Amino acid sequence: MDAFSLPFVQRGLIEILLLAIPCGLIGTWIVLRGLAFHSHAIGTATFPGLVLADGIGFSAALGAFGAALGFTLLATLIGRSKRTGTDSVTALALAACLAVGVILASDVFSSGANVDTLLFGSLLAIDSGDLWLAAGAAVLALAASFVFGHHWLAKGFDPGAADRMRSGSTAFDAALLTVVAVTVVATLGAVGALLVSTLVVVPAATARLFASRLGSLQIASVLLVAIEGAFGLWLSAQTDAPPGATIAVVSGAVFLAGLGFRALTRRSGMKPAILAAALLALAGIAAGCGSTGSGGDGPKVVATTTQVGDFVSQVGGDEVDLTVILKPNTDPHEYEPRPSDVKAVADADIVFRSGGHLDDWTSDLISDSGSEAEVVDLSEGLPVQLHGEDEHEHGHEDEHAHEEHADEGEHEDGEEIDPHWWQDPVNVRFATGRIESALADRNPGQATYYQGRARRFDNQIGNLITGIKACLRKVPADSRKIVTDHDAFGYFTNRFGIETVGTVIPALTTEAQPSAGDLAELEETIKREKVKAVFPESSVSPALSEAVARDTGASTDYSLYGDTLGPEGSAGETWLGSMKSNADAMVKGMTGGSQSCFGGASD
Amino acid sequence: MIEWLTDPLAHGITLRALTEIAILGAVGGAVGCWVVLYEISYSAESLAHGMFPGLVGAALLGLPLLMGGAIGIVLAGLVIAVIGRLTPDSDDTAIAVVVTTLFGLGVLLALSPDSPPGIQALLFGDPLGVKDSDLVVTGLIAAAVLAVLWLFHDRLLAIGFDPSAAGPGGISPALVRALLLTLVAVTVLVGVQGLGNLLVAAILVGPAAAARVLTDRMSTMISLSVGIALVSGIAGLYLSFHARVAAGAAVVSCLLVAYLAAATFAALRDRIRRRSLPPGLPTRPEGARS
Repeated sequence: MDAFSLPFVQRGLIEILLLAIPCGLIGTWIVLRGLAFHSHAIGTATFPGLVLADGIGFSAALGAFGAALGFTLLATLIGRSKRTGTDSVTALALAACLAVGVILASDVFSSGANVDTLLFGSLLAIDSGDLWLAAGAAVLALAASFVFGHHWLAKGFDPGAADRMRSGSTAFDAALLTVVAVTVVATLGAVGALLVSTLVVVPAATARLFASRLGSLQIASVLLVAIEGAFGLWLSAQTDAPPGATIAVVSGAVFLAGLGFRALTRRSGMKPAILAAALLALAGIAAGCGSTGSGGDGPKVVATTTQVGDFVSQVGGDEVDLTVILKPNTDPHEYEPRPSDVKAVADADIVFRSGGHLDDWTSDLISDSGSEAEVVDLSEGLPVQLHGEDEHEHGHEDEHAHEEHADEGEHEDGEEIDPHWWQDPVNVRFATGRIESALADRNPGQATYYQGRARRFDNQIGNLITGIKACLRKVPADSRKIVTDHDAFGYFTNRFGIETVGTVIPALTTEAQPSAGDLAELEETIKREKVKAVFPESSVSPALSEAVARDTGASTDYSLYGDTLGPEGSAGETWLGSMKSNADAMVKGMTGGSQSCFGGASD
Repeated sequence: MIEWLTDPLAHGITLRALTEIAILGAVGGAVGCWVVLYEISYSAESLAHGMFPGLVGAALLGLPLLMGGAIGIVLAGLVIAVIGRLTPDSDDTAIAVVVTTLFGLGVLLALSPDSPPGIQALLFGDPLGVKDSDLVVTGLIAAAVLAVLWLFHDRLLAIGFDPSAAGPGGISPALVRALLLTLVAVTVLVGVQGLGNLLVAAILVGPAAAARVLTDRMSTMISLSVGIALVSGIAGLYLSFHARVAAGAAVVSCLLVAYLAAATFAALRDRIRRRSLPPGLPTRPEGARS
């Protein structure tokens, strides 16, 4: 059980034990009243609140709670029409909330990727705010059950009662819906929007298979949340998997075991041994999956993104013990930390951050893991800094409305800088210098080793710059125009004199969608400017770029490395390789394939 | 004015999007009536997440993603039908258990280093990203779904209004429910590819709910629902084209306006009918449901 000796696992354990009270108590009512869809929808419907909180700059929990209450009100309003079933009302209200969220994210704020990360909570990144929220929800659930429990019970174990809840809308039902909203919002930080039901529905449904009296049902539900949560957390620490997904699978398996057990005992009178055996088997699988990491000598260093990881390994070589958190196949927008990530941060001597919203979650990870590492934010003090919004070409007048928006505390200069700084090699030279001096300070014995490697890397960067410049000369000046998926290449185009004529996706969050009018205009621009290629990004779904390309006769054959480097063995495995590949892809695209760079590095 | 109407048609992107929305509006409007009658809107909203493990499994085994997603989502629908039968509570509970468990399983499988990045997003489309070949596939599947609905119309109707109805010689209610969930699963799969997840739930539930407040007859409801879906879908795309609003969100907004208009109309109609009753007769109590 040594997993529970790690401080961040302990905090996750406290969180899940606190959450067990509201999730178990209120989960019982959710199951009895048929509110499973309602509770799931609340979690998802927080999206517009998160976009607003991010855009205007207030607390995400407040935004989520406001949106949850807004959803409940909307559902109550729509539910006044007595012919519409509860489920349909929930679906309609949810669609409305999501549509508002998408419009806010795409057309009003041009939201950054951090909106997405708020939808993905984790038990491994619990801060004191989450704990207080869970404790508050627990107290509220206890108090509400005590005061309103018998009123709620008066409606009986009647699933049809849910239908009357919103239309009847008595004060007691309003109280229940409010407590459900608070419970769901408190759960978000622990498991994220898509897995809320794992804590508020599945355990209560499992308990319902066996308990028929309210008291025993509630006690069993609370205990099940606590046990499944604690076991899932322990299992995730053993298998190095994200705890939310692990708990989801564990609770689902327990429910299935319970269902099978009940069916068997009803038919043939078999004994509880099966349930125990199933659980033991699960634990056995878990124990077999444990894995350990290892590394080289030197200071323990964590890099957040794939690019930063590459820079550190270029400078540090064998004399750093490097852990890179994001893997090439992880979507930075949907990242959920794994136990080994948090442990690496907790034990690290230095954490190198890329900065900006691409790895915003690291600040939580560092503070929540109790790490005493020196944090080096490589986006600070760079020689070239671009403002992301200035690069947006295809927007409308109100696109600049968000320029006045102030960022939350962590960003020093209070303005939103385009975080893709490594697309300009000049910035990477500067960052390499900072990495070298940070490593040398920590490990003076190897200072000359680091210096030698940094100098070699700097030479390679110099060659890269001349190489790309020479190659771009093969492209006629009036053809140096590109259209990309989303604007991750501002630094690259700025450095090498390429014009970004437009982008396909209006904002950085994956929830954003373009409008038909914007895409139609983009197509006209592409035809007018005779842009020969649209460049999909290797980690973004290419459907929209392909549609635009088909209509305009532009090519989508060449994809670019944007937010992450490529997997092992691909051309973009290292940053140098990815830059060569991007330059080659752009030149091929701009010349219709007649020219290439670095011997066709993009294949 | 004429240009306002024809401008969007001159662009391949909007033309294809209009066709896709028209096809999916027709099938979604029809399937949606049964979704609303059987109270399984949750599945319309969430089943797409249930295909996650199938998707990752297919990627790891080197099979076509669409095949993995299809197997995953149809299996999810069937498991929901089985669990819904075995548990005492509403189908919603079964849907919650199945979808969260499968989603969790998908997340764990996707940890494998061989899994491609952002795999879940690969099958989530956008109406503006539709290909000509998508239109053909969507049209064929839509026709198949509508044909099955037409064949089983009477059984679906009998069991929808009286779940215990098991006519002699007929198919058992459990099988009919499983069949319906399979149809919903197939519609959701085609829908998320063509329209994205946000729009699928709205197009499956919105038009049917609007039609439901206007009429009690199932056949009238289906025609109304299909009509509302078509009109709102097309209006939404015009809105997206001219007012520059995200396409999916614009269609959803139009569907909601259609529902609110229908609900207001129905409420006014009820009030007028009640007023025309002779005084003294009891009217329907406020909290009652039809």
